[in-house]
Amino acid sequence: MGVMQTPTPNPTSTPKTPADRAQEFVAVQGGPETTSAESLMVAAYCGMWAILMVFIFLSWRRQQKLDARLGELEAALAKRGRS
Amino acid sequence: MTLKKLSQPILLLTTALVFFYLIQFIVFTVPQAQAEAGGLAQKIFYFHVPSAYALYLSGAVCFVASAGYLYRPSDTWDSWSRAGAECAVAFGCMVLLSGPLWAKKAWGVYWTWDPRLTTLLLSVLIYLALVVMRAFTGDGDAERKFAAGFGILGTVNLPIVHYSVKKWGGNHPTVVGQGGGGLADPNMRIALYLGFLAMTLLAVLLLIARARLAQTNARLLALEEHAAVEGLLESP
Repeated sequence: MGVMQTPTPNPTSTPKTPADRAQEFVAVQGGPETTSAESLMVAAYCGMWAILMVFIFLSWRRQQKLDARLGELEAALAKRGRS
Repeated sequence: MTLKKLSQPILLLTTALVFFYLIQFIVFTVPQAQAEAGGLAQKIFYFHVPSAYALYLSGAVCFVASAGYLYRPSDTWDSWSRAGAECAVAFGCMVLLSGPLWAKKAWGVYWTWDPRLTTLLLSVLIYLALVVMRAFTGDGDAERKFAAGFGILGTVNLPIVHYSVKKWGGNHPTVVGQGGGGLADPNMRIALYLGFLAMTLLAVLLLIARARLAQTNARLLALEEHAAVEGLLESP
């Protein structure tokens, strides 16, 4: 039967006093996942909406370009009609 | 106004309402899942999976239209093929953004080279290459045929994405479908079905909009070429 592994502090490298903690950072392996689920969820939903908005904005910009080209064509036709 | 003219505003309004209801349902009604599944971050699932489904739907449209173009070239087939690829990129980006954020909580890392993640990334890159190619090259028959072949290749990869977990295993969960444990709470199931409905409506809306844009562009290009021959405009 496997024994559950917990991160064991290294007595030679772990800071013992507040002064040690303030003067040294020690690399550790593993440890619990600390990222907030709330912030990840909000980031995911905001990011997805942002992608959708960018897609809609690009479509709108493409439509604007088409309108400009159409206007140019209409102007050329009107110019020909006058002459 | 005719029914045809009213259909798009109705579709837009329905999509907005379904999304509004879905978001409040996920936030206030759907219970949180177990910590191993990501806890509160598991609620990303109700948009993540439907986005992947919308990617498959857009890919299927791209595949059918690309095959149609290769069989009988026309502006309509080309427009739908282009729209399918563009929407596949948008939905693929949604999946690739939401998945890693959920994975960070559930697996402890944003990304692993898991079979499903890797094959999905490959698919999205194929569609992205297709969209970039269409944006920066000409609109001749050769380019369109090459793009159609590329579109078929991108969609052929989608079944590999779908069955990669069953074939090669990996970290990716298989809750829905065969071999999965399913969603224990009825509200979780309702949220997922609503997510599928919302993303289907959104995919249909975006596909129609992008296909119409591409069709208008093709018609305008033909008119500009005609006007240039008549000496009205400089060559487009």
